[in-house]
Amino acid sequence: MEKSGSMDSLGSKQSSSRHPSVDSLSSSERSAQVKPSSAMLSETATSAEFSPEIRVKAKIHAKVLRDSDKEEPQLLPNEVVQDMAQDITYFCPFTGAVRGILTVSNYRLFFKCMDREPSFVLDLPLGVVSRVEKIGSASSRGDVSYGLVCKDMRNLRFAHKQLDDTLRKSIFEVLMKFAFPVSNGLQIFAFQYGQVFPENGWKVYDAVSEYKRQGIPNESWRITKVNDHYELCDTYPSTMAVPVNIPDEELKRIAAFRAKGRIPVLSWIHPESQATVTRCSQPMVGVNGKRSKEDEKYLQAIMDANAQSHKLFIFDARPSVNAAANKMKGGGYESEDAYQNAELVFLDIHNIHVMRESLRKLKDIVYPNIEDSHWLSNLESTHWLEHIKLILAGALRIADKVESGKTSVVVHCSDGWDRTAQLTSLAMLMLDAYYRTIRGFQVLLEKEWLSFGHRFQLRIGHGDKNHTDADRSPVFIQFVDCVWQLTRQFPAAFEFNEYFLVTILDHLYSCLFGTFLCNSEQQRVKEEIPKRTVSLWSYINSQLEEFTNPLYVNFSNHVLFPVVSLRHLELWVGYYIRWNPRMRPQEPVHQRHKELLAKRAELQKRVDELQREVTNRSASSSSERAGSPTRSITPVQTFV
Amino acid sequence: MRDEEPDMPRARKKERMLNQSRMSARGGDVFGLRCLPGECVLQRAVMVRKKLTAREGRGWLSGTLFCTQFRVAFVPQDAPKADDNAETILLGDHDIALASIEKVVVVGPNRTKLVSPNTWLKFTPEELVLYCRDLRVICFLFDRLTPDAQVIEITHTIAKTYQPLKPGAMLSFQNAALGSVEMKQFLSNRRRDAHMNWHETAAEWERELERCSATGWRVSSVNDRFEMSTSLPRFIVVPQKVLDTELKKSFAHFNDGRIPRWCWRHPRGSDLLRMASFQNNIYHEKDDIRHLELILFGCHSSVCVVVELGEELPSPADIQLAHGRLRALCLGDISTSVTVPDDKWLSTLEATRWLDYTRWCLKKASEVACLLRSGHMTVALQEAEDRDMSCLVSSLVQVMCDPHCRSRLGFQSLVQKEWVAAGHRFYSRTNFHRENDKEEAPVFLLFLDCVRQLWSQYPARFQLTDDFLLALHDSAHLPLFSTFLANSQRERCRRTQNVGQCYTPVSGWREPLHPDSSLESPDPPLPPVWDWSLQYCEQRQAAFTQPVAQTPAPAPLLNGNLNSQLDARRPSDAIPGSVFLLSRGVFSCPVNLLPWRGGSAGGSISGVYRKSHRRAPSCESVPGLERLLKALSLAETPVKPELDPYEPLLPLLMGPCVGLWRECYHRGALHAQAFSHPLSANHRHPLELLAGEVRRLQEQLAQQHPADDSRSAHDANLNHNANNSSSFLFSGSPGAAAIATPAPASGQAPKENANKHTFLSGHASDTRPGRANSKLTKSDAS
Repeated sequence: MEKSGSMDSLGSKQSSSRHPSVDSLSSSERSAQVKPSSAMLSETATSAEFSPEIRVKAKIHAKVLRDSDKEEPQLLPNEVVQDMAQDITYFCPFTGAVRGILTVSNYRLFFKCMDREPSFVLDLPLGVVSRVEKIGSASSRGDVSYGLVCKDMRNLRFAHKQLDDTLRKSIFEVLMKFAFPVSNGLQIFAFQYGQVFPENGWKVYDAVSEYKRQGIPNESWRITKVNDHYELCDTYPSTMAVPVNIPDEELKRIAAFRAKGRIPVLSWIHPESQATVTRCSQPMVGVNGKRSKEDEKYLQAIMDANAQSHKLFIFDARPSVNAAANKMKGGGYESEDAYQNAELVFLDIHNIHVMRESLRKLKDIVYPNIEDSHWLSNLESTHWLEHIKLILAGALRIADKVESGKTSVVVHCSDGWDRTAQLTSLAMLMLDAYYRTIRGFQVLLEKEWLSFGHRFQLRIGHGDKNHTDADRSPVFIQFVDCVWQLTRQFPAAFEFNEYFLVTILDHLYSCLFGTFLCNSEQQRVKEEIPKRTVSLWSYINSQLEEFTNPLYVNFSNHVLFPVVSLRHLELWVGYYIRWNPRMRPQEPVHQRHKELLAKRAELQKRVDELQREVTNRSASSSSERAGSPTRSITPVQTFV
Repeated sequence: MRDEEPDMPRARKKERMLNQSRMSARGGDVFGLRCLPGECVLQRAVMVRKKLTAREGRGWLSGTLFCTQFRVAFVPQDAPKADDNAETILLGDHDIALASIEKVVVVGPNRTKLVSPNTWLKFTPEELVLYCRDLRVICFLFDRLTPDAQVIEITHTIAKTYQPLKPGAMLSFQNAALGSVEMKQFLSNRRRDAHMNWHETAAEWERELERCSATGWRVSSVNDRFEMSTSLPRFIVVPQKVLDTELKKSFAHFNDGRIPRWCWRHPRGSDLLRMASFQNNIYHEKDDIRHLELILFGCHSSVCVVVELGEELPSPADIQLAHGRLRALCLGDISTSVTVPDDKWLSTLEATRWLDYTRWCLKKASEVACLLRSGHMTVALQEAEDRDMSCLVSSLVQVMCDPHCRSRLGFQSLVQKEWVAAGHRFYSRTNFHRENDKEEAPVFLLFLDCVRQLWSQYPARFQLTDDFLLALHDSAHLPLFSTFLANSQRERCRRTQNVGQCYTPVSGWREPLHPDSSLESPDPPLPPVWDWSLQYCEQRQAAFTQPVAQTPAPAPLLNGNLNSQLDARRPSDAIPGSVFLLSRGVFSCPVNLLPWRGGSAGGSISGVYRKSHRRAPSCESVPGLERLLKALSLAETPVKPELDPYEPLLPLLMGPCVGLWRECYHRGALHAQAFSHPLSANHRHPLELLAGEVRRLQEQLAQQHPADDSRSAHDANLNHNANNSSSFLFSGSPGAAAIATPAPASGQAPKENANKHTFLSGHASDTRPGRANSKLTKSDAS
């Protein structure tokens, strides 16, 4: 890296000078902070990394607190240091090897090198570690080298001297134990973390009130308690909305016809046209083309619930070949003969294995080095953006059918918890401005992803050392990427900023919060997650200003139709390539946005003052233009 | 509307008169098209819908479509009635100049057809698509209510009138726009923007020297009559130490007489020079050598780095090829509407190499910027002809290093200095006349793209916006501006002044640009592109600069002190210093870098050479220089950019950091969906609305307490000559008199947002003429 006189090295002066050490996130800021909420910000190296001004602040603090600064991290409540080792070398792919002190706690890995100015800090939650491998045997110099493969698009390499005392465990063996608590019979740190926040994030989502917000129950839809004890379907929530005229008994028979018992249930209803988005799993058609009268009647009932249209669209997220292949395993898709008035559309989105492979390829081309001259063709060969495009295009078709066609849609893939969740939640994001607010987005995740059983535990593999598990897949990351693409196309339509999305992804892995633990609502209830852990939303909602998009305008009734052509999609550099110091934004955009907010507040004040003046004057001198002040009194947003 | 039209073919005149009478029978201005003097409507179609791009908010806008002999105009149905007090605008927001149309395509039921002047349509088009040279694609949809006759007629009219450019067509286009007596008068009355430096007079060059605190340099008028070099400007900046008589002998040593000339001084004292390649087969006299050394080393006798621009940068032919591929990629195959499949988009984009070329240029400019930053040296850009890449690199370096060049006026001055005055062959490179396709190369567009890349990485460090860059990009495709219609200052002089006034040396004489033009009426006077009011309304011009005030520009005298330090270590004039060649990121000192120092000549050259040889054991200095470049790649002591405003803006050039200029190349919108949605990326933001509202309230307040009218009117006159002359223009033509009578109410209808930037940045210069509010804004702001 150092001797590359090539083009990529050109810009780095500027960037690296501002962000002196690559993974720097000096812990000193943490020690300076008393408030738990802001200290939290730098808890994970990743989240604080992201925002430049925090880094700047950290640097300033670092100067002041250099003397008092310890080699140890500021520990979280109930975090315990497990091991500490001197003379560890960290091979930074960007700035070269550094020697320092490594600390491992039950939550994090903390590496600090004091020799550099400013000091070099690496602080990551153990949850992001996907694999620890010993690289090679003891070399001639007696060094032992370890590689850490991380889930968040980076790899770390450390080395230490061969230990003289053969009985002593290497610090990396300690690390392995705590990085994979589930495999080692330990508890995930979220269960120990005892931070108290002013907000309780577990109260963000309540199924009944969310249905009520949508106007459910109404004359066509009812809320059923048939799954109260998760007997109908163990991956569905206890509260679901179904058509009024289908009794609970029939639901059970339909459950038998749908894979994993995941019957069609309501995700979203259009407030005006009553067109609905419903989700389910594939029908158990099989090679023999089995049919279910109840299921057919059920879909008819969904269609009938919407008086505007006499058609029902069934969106099968899979490529048609895959859907057909599923017949061999007893699954399949709805035949248009059996389901009259229904039209089946395949959305060509590939399965979790393809997505995993695509992200792996992406990691290969972005970390640590990027080849400039073939960057675009390399990116193309990962197909990552193409997958993003297909997902967005699918969601767009759903949103368009519901909004413009006033037609109800049924969405499913094979099991209805991966691609289906992506599609319904993205479509809802396009259709309903509520989900574009910070709280609304939390509700969306809680509802479409968590309560409807996206298998986070399996897909992420929290605390599990089995990194080759075929169930792991970046389905949720893909969804967040799609959301980011939407925010790029509609920068004023979302209340949250990029930092919010990155924070969610960071804590998807960190295992600090209970939000993304377990596979289903049933498991979460069983594990008493809300009682025993802290919700990510507690943390976020306690410091909303960090996550607010200053450009946000509340266009409550607008539907977003993004352009899904690959020409208009971008790679999310701020997430996938954020570890590369040469990719850091040249300017603190975050900061600039805050200044804009201030400017806006100032202007608003000015408007108010002038308004008062005008009203006073027009009261005294009856001008013929007296009408206009009243018009301008209306808040600015309304006549956008 | 005027009746006389001097240079229109008779047949068309007849046709036009016919139309005109038809129009006037219905009331000519009812349709709301405000014609230029002499412009008349050839054809019109009602109930047409224009497809809006993502930038305009997507969706459709319905209105009336016109074709005149100068433009295709579209007037939206609910457009505010033409405001006669408004500036003269050649092209409205929805208008397309005929000269910028590249292809006309109609879409009928199940078919698409490219329309040429001879095409006879066998079907009634449903859609009319105009592909423009500046990469816009404009799409009009004919309603079922549009009379079929109108649809076919207007399509034919457009196809017949737009014509692929050739000398005659361009001239008639220029005449249609600017040829009328009123227009000529109007243009000749327009004053040049005195806030920018045009780099045309000696005084202006002096001003630039002063701005850069470039001591040790002087403005020489040795080329005043273009005797020394036909492509150099009349005034050039050379070292003070060199007399004009000495200077004269040096021209022969450089290709086309383009000797090393000063461009810019970095505040830390380094000077940026540019020159053409050496004439090698020439005998170097002893005295000549002394002068050449002096000219090349300028004020820094110790170190001179020659940056060779011939390698590592694309050639004009490469640029042309890349741009052609990019156009094809972004617009698709026009006649067949075949586009590159989405899944091949990225690799096809890469294969155009356009992004590579922008990266190369930015890299080269960054290297030069880093050299300049170190101070105490002369950096001379050398290119064989010194008229393409050296324009690009020298101006890019200045954009990176000099905050002044990132303001709109500073940027315009920069383009004047490094492109227009320096003799970039705009005329040949743009190839409007299709005379010489080999010469065509959009070097200037590549430069704009490079600036856009920098801008996108450091938006807050620029006062100008990408809207400005886009406007300049589009204007460069319009054959109306003197800026882009000549190859050198000499040609421009010949055009603007009377030919007789310009001395023409026997050797450098070239045929007039348009041999046929002299037979007809004299060419209309061409305005410079910087006269933005000719093209853009105030509201759109307001978007050329950032709304929020930037960090105040630093005091320009920062450099004075730094210079003085250097003077102390300057060796005596007689001793030449070391020369290095920077090529492929490596420094070297080849023996024959300066031909007069070459080994073979060594015998004939006395002490000067040997001394220089002694002083140039450059191997030890090379590492020092390389460290300067290395500073690019390694972390140094963090310099807060706020502390040193001259710290160059070095772009990130890794693959993901260099992107396509979507706002420009993606306007084609072929693939964009027609979903109507008001909330696009460029939707007006509450902040702007607030600013507009503040303004409106201020206006209301102004009406509440009437100001001293005579004084404010005076203010407006002073500031806004242009407005007055424009209304003068219209009062001259009889037909327009009725329209030109100012409707008192119309000016008061507050155009929100029109001046938001001036409001926000604190200095009020309301450009609305004759209104009390301009005074009020001023008093409020102060």
